[in-house]
Amino acid sequence: MHKKQSRDLLLFILGGVVLYFLSGMVDELRVYQGASIAVYVIAISSIILLTGYSGQVSLGHGALMAVGAYAAAVARIELQAPIILCFAIAVLAAAIGGALLGAAAARLSGPYLAGTTLALAIGLPSLANQFSVLGGEQGLLFDVGFPPLSLGEEFTQYKWFFWIAALAALISMWAVKNILSSRYGRTWRAIRGNEVAAQLSGINIARSKILAFTISAGIAGLAGALLSMTIGTVSPSAFPLALSFSLLTGAVLSGITTLGGAMIGAVVLVAIPEVADAVANRIGSSERVTTNLPGFLVSALLILTVLFVPNGPVEQHRARKAKKKNYLS
Amino acid sequence: MDFLNTLLIGITAGSIYSLMAISMVLVWRSTRVVNFAQAGMALLSTYFGFEAVTRLGSFWIALPVAMVGGALVAALVEMILIRLLVKHSSSGPIAGVAPIIATLGLLGVIRASTSMIWGGQDVRIVGPVSNDGYTINGTTLVFSPLKLLILLTVLVLMLILSLVFQKTNIGLALRASAYSPEIARLSGIKVDWVRTLGWALAGAAGAVAGMFQTVNGNGTLSPDSIEFSLLLVSGFIAAVIGGLDSLIGAVIGGLVLGLMISFVLMYISSGLFFIAPFVILLLVLFIRPQGIFGAKAARRA
Repeated sequence: MHKKQSRDLLLFILGGVVLYFLSGMVDELRVYQGASIAVYVIAISSIILLTGYSGQVSLGHGALMAVGAYAAAVARIELQAPIILCFAIAVLAAAIGGALLGAAAARLSGPYLAGTTLALAIGLPSLANQFSVLGGEQGLLFDVGFPPLSLGEEFTQYKWFFWIAALAALISMWAVKNILSSRYGRTWRAIRGNEVAAQLSGINIARSKILAFTISAGIAGLAGALLSMTIGTVSPSAFPLALSFSLLTGAVLSGITTLGGAMIGAVVLVAIPEVADAVANRIGSSERVTTNLPGFLVSALLILTVLFVPNGPVEQHRARKAKKKNYLS
Repeated sequence: MDFLNTLLIGITAGSIYSLMAISMVLVWRSTRVVNFAQAGMALLSTYFGFEAVTRLGSFWIALPVAMVGGALVAALVEMILIRLLVKHSSSGPIAGVAPIIATLGLLGVIRASTSMIWGGQDVRIVGPVSNDGYTINGTTLVFSPLKLLILLTVLVLMLILSLVFQKTNIGLALRASAYSPEIARLSGIKVDWVRTLGWALAGAAGAVAGMFQTVNGNGTLSPDSIEFSLLLVSGFIAAVIGGLDSLIGAVIGGLVLGLMISFVLMYISSGLFFIAPFVILLLVLFIRPQGIFGAKAARRA
């Protein structure tokens, strides 16, 4: 076990080094997209933890991301807090929100939970208009500042975003991976498998579920703060219902129980608008087709994945290989 | 006068939410799926209704057109999507969330396709009667002939639906399949077709809700309009308040929700448009997690 852990750590560090060199070789747009991918990886891993492991559905993670983003922006503007502290506050604020939501969620199951979180995703961002400190429809500026001069003159703003986001993604993936293989992760899987049996073996169901929601929300809050960093502002329109749906799509595409697959979902989510653009240009369609094609593709992909690769491509591949092996032996 | 206005607005909006909740309940009873695409299907049927109104000029022809269109779409969705879903994804860690994800995907597909076909233009449906309020003793109410008509139509539809459920063989088959698919099948009911029928009825009810929601609002129709987000959330919340399993519960849930939203907007703040339903939902679920008319045991679906 110990050996495996240090091997994983090495892999994560190696991944970081590769990303570092890659970011120097591609143009600005790709660097920006890289930052978006990193943000999505974090957000998707929070859904995988919650839905894939603890078996709870949340359609409201967009709203929890908004909580994190607003907390970070307010801390930045009102307290002039350093960036790292802003992100920590984002995690904390969203985790508190998640704990409250989790307390409600522990009493609900299946469609009741899905609908409650759906109502939250629609309702919460509009609440920002009620408080002047949150800047209403225009939102707040969230400026993490210029990259430090010691990184050189050539170092662009987007590259700085990418670095922050990629580092955060590596750290949070590492954290989630460890949480999932800890006793909490096993507890969640036990509950997902059979709630009654889990309860009989002495697991406090409600507490474990609330814990899963809290941790997942904290991670989502971090993703929200990073997302608003790349946009530069925090406003209700940055966290539409479509965002919550995209995250779920990303998680399903990744394989709802495959943390390592989070990258697949994130890349697809970032690539889809571009693919849609290319397709729309090729067939030379009107503007209203072009603007709606990405949404159409995301949703169609979501349906197809659930129908034909319900456990995700990685898991599917693994299952097929296992079947083949059984067949041969 | 404010009080009376608020009450009447709440009842009218509530009756539309009731219809939407009924369609959620019908789907839930027939396939144990909460259809998050119900509002999307209602949107699509309302566009069918719009095409009929512009071509044929009459709201009263457009309404049945929308209903039949909605019923057909819903039946197709059940026959293709839901049957495939049951076949492919009813085991493993995805089983619990697969129907939710699939219907959400459907919602997205419908939203995007309607925007591609009808988006970006001013689409209006003119109601059959005026939406200007009645005047009593010199004061003008918000309550209008149109709102009265909506209330009456919803009432008539509910009566027909309850007669179908209580007095006909089809209603019996629907109830039996919801109660226990196995036993229904053993007594010779074609459960698969009854399920499709349940979806079709739900599609028709949703179509009426969509048409009325549009004319009761400002008459314009758009895939991204607030009216349809509200229909999506309220239909679900009303159904959950009522307990998801009960048609009476859906009606009462819708009315309670409509009234509560109306009073909150009037007496507390009009900015609470979307957060009010959420708070109401949480309150109900904290007191009774299975809804007011729900079965005793918590559902695990």
